[in-house]
Amino acid sequence: MTYFISRRASLGIAIAAAFLTSSFMPAQADVLDDVTAAGVIKVGIFEDFPPFASLNADLKIEGYDTEVADKLAAALGVKVELVGITGQNRIPFLTEGKVDLLLSIGYSDERAQVVDYTDAYAPYYIAVMGPKELDVTDAAGLSGKTIAVNRGTLEDTEVTKVAPADADIQRYSDYSGVISAFLSGQAQLMVVGNDVGATILAQNPAIEPVEKFLLLTSPSQMAVKKGEARLQKALNDALIAMKADGQLNALAVKWLKQPLVEGF
Amino acid sequence: MGYAFDFSAISQNTGLLLHGAGLTVGLTAIAATLGMALSIGGAAARLWGGRWLRGLVGAYVELIRNTPFIVQLFFIFFGLPSIGVKLSAFEAAALAMTINLTAYGIEIVRAGIEAVPPGQREAGFALGIAPISAFVYIVLPQAIAVVYPALVSQIIITMLESAVVSQVAVTDLTHAADLIQSRTYRAFETYFAVTVIYLGMALLLRWLFILAGRRLFVGKR
Amino acid sequence: MVNLTLADIIPFLLLAARWTLLLAAIAFVGGTVGAMLLLLWRYGAPRVGGLATTLFIQLFQGTPLLLQLFLVFFGLPMIGIEISPLAAAGIALTLYASAFLAEIWRGCVDAIPRGQWDASCSLGMNFLTQMRYVILPQSFKIAVPPTVGFLVQLLKSTALASIVGFNELTRTGQIVANATFEPFLVYGLVALIYFAMCYPLTVGSRALERRMRISR
Repeated sequence: MTYFISRRASLGIAIAAAFLTSSFMPAQADVLDDVTAAGVIKVGIFEDFPPFASLNADLKIEGYDTEVADKLAAALGVKVELVGITGQNRIPFLTEGKVDLLLSIGYSDERAQVVDYTDAYAPYYIAVMGPKELDVTDAAGLSGKTIAVNRGTLEDTEVTKVAPADADIQRYSDYSGVISAFLSGQAQLMVVGNDVGATILAQNPAIEPVEKFLLLTSPSQMAVKKGEARLQKALNDALIAMKADGQLNALAVKWLKQPLVEGF
Repeated sequence: MGYAFDFSAISQNTGLLLHGAGLTVGLTAIAATLGMALSIGGAAARLWGGRWLRGLVGAYVELIRNTPFIVQLFFIFFGLPSIGVKLSAFEAAALAMTINLTAYGIEIVRAGIEAVPPGQREAGFALGIAPISAFVYIVLPQAIAVVYPALVSQIIITMLESAVVSQVAVTDLTHAADLIQSRTYRAFETYFAVTVIYLGMALLLRWLFILAGRRLFVGKR
Repeated sequence: MVNLTLADIIPFLLLAARWTLLLAAIAFVGGTVGAMLLLLWRYGAPRVGGLATTLFIQLFQGTPLLLQLFLVFFGLPMIGIEISPLAAAGIALTLYASAFLAEIWRGCVDAIPRGQWDASCSLGMNFLTQMRYVILPQSFKIAVPPTVGFLVQLLKSTALASIVGFNELTRTGQIVANATFEPFLVYGLVALIYFAMCYPLTVGSRALERRMRISR
């Protein structure tokens, strides 16, 4: 279950509901135990989010996130099951147990109330990207422009905060929509991680998107269900080991084209 | 643990929801108006057009009726720009809805026209009325009266299907729900409330159309 | 740009279409059972069942399928049922299909002359026997064409499962469109594959209807 009983006013109903629902629920199990018992960890990733995960020439989803997921699963001694998520459904996916773990999630106080975070595992610089010839250098320059973002992500909250009122922010339900809208010219600008922008640039030289300005540095973290301290710790331990033996750095060089910066 | 329902996310965002509902109604109105006009033209073309025109309209009807609305929408919004046709999200949504409604409308109106006894048209000719006038003033009103309930249902289906246009960032009612949901994490409450709003809109729309139909088609059936 | 040729893309999309077909099959089988139960309730207990089934049908025909999907998707886990996206989409589409099929079949049952009910009743048949041997066999004949027609609608409706993240044909198309930056081509292909699945059903439904009209 997702939320604790929060309102005294509805206590009667809530208690009744609690009895009803608890009869359907298995005994409050620990997610780490469930994962170990099942031998599989369900990892939520964006499937259309290069270089973190996207379709490759062999028609497989692949990227920094999928390889991190592989290594984490190996560290926990289980198999990995990748679950495609969207910005819109990923928090409910996690809180409702459709995934055990989310990758590529940035920290916000709002989210921290519903999920627990692990340490950072990848740098992520949220940037406003656009074609070279478009003259935009700061938030004020967004005035009158169409900007594509993934709804319910930090990109969305951040650009919503800084953009002038007459900026046309188009909110899509996943990165597919954002990238499609930008590539097809439906949006003049898009707000994504700069690595995402760089990968799209490499793939579509004709468009030549360049970084207009940086909105926010928000390293990617992992998120687990609120209160799953054991899973959180197991993941952090795995992460520390991957950082110590250089595995994570190797992935960064392979996918993000540069070594991890200080602090990782 | 129980789940405490919390609908405050809805009450705090009535402006957003109203805007979304207005947009959904607006899109439906555009699609219904254009769609009806095109349906009548299309039905006439299918019945009395030349071979090519009949074939073309027939192919259009089959193609649209046998593919999902969301794929049509993506094709128009994401696909067409690569051949130089760039429509805004709103225009793309209005176009996709109109195209969709028309494909069904043509078949409905055609059935209505076929239900009008040929004697009606012939009587018009006998009175010296031009074929076009006979169609517009004699056959069409009777045909529409016969299939009016089916047309109303199709318009309502179009409105309900338009929930999908939120996927190309049109700020319709579903988009408002998505936005509230992604800000408050109250997915169930938000979608529940918005589903109820859609239901209310569908019932209201049907009721209005029935009222209008009663006035429009007095004595025509 | 990830260089994919048509020879890569088409089989990939066709493989994804399996999930579309599976989802439609689940919803159709589930919907058939659901609609049958609704009809038995409706005709077995006309007062309560009649009202309840009408409400059920109105509810599902009066709200967007997309929202129904969201409600099942986000709602079931709240009552402690945790399910996969396939199961969630399957359940939502099953409910949707139940409502539509019940409405279609209700029309077919109502088309059976009153005298059939009276005659079978006077033979001492109870409700279930009447349904089983008299009413349903006769309704079945007229129900087939519109049911096949609805199957087309159901197949198309599975595309909405893409929005809740189920990797069927439409969502796979989206992912491929982005990887190749060929949205025009990819969505065109996706539409063609849907057409290839739906059109034979449409034609079949129409042929059945024509044959039925002649035989009557």
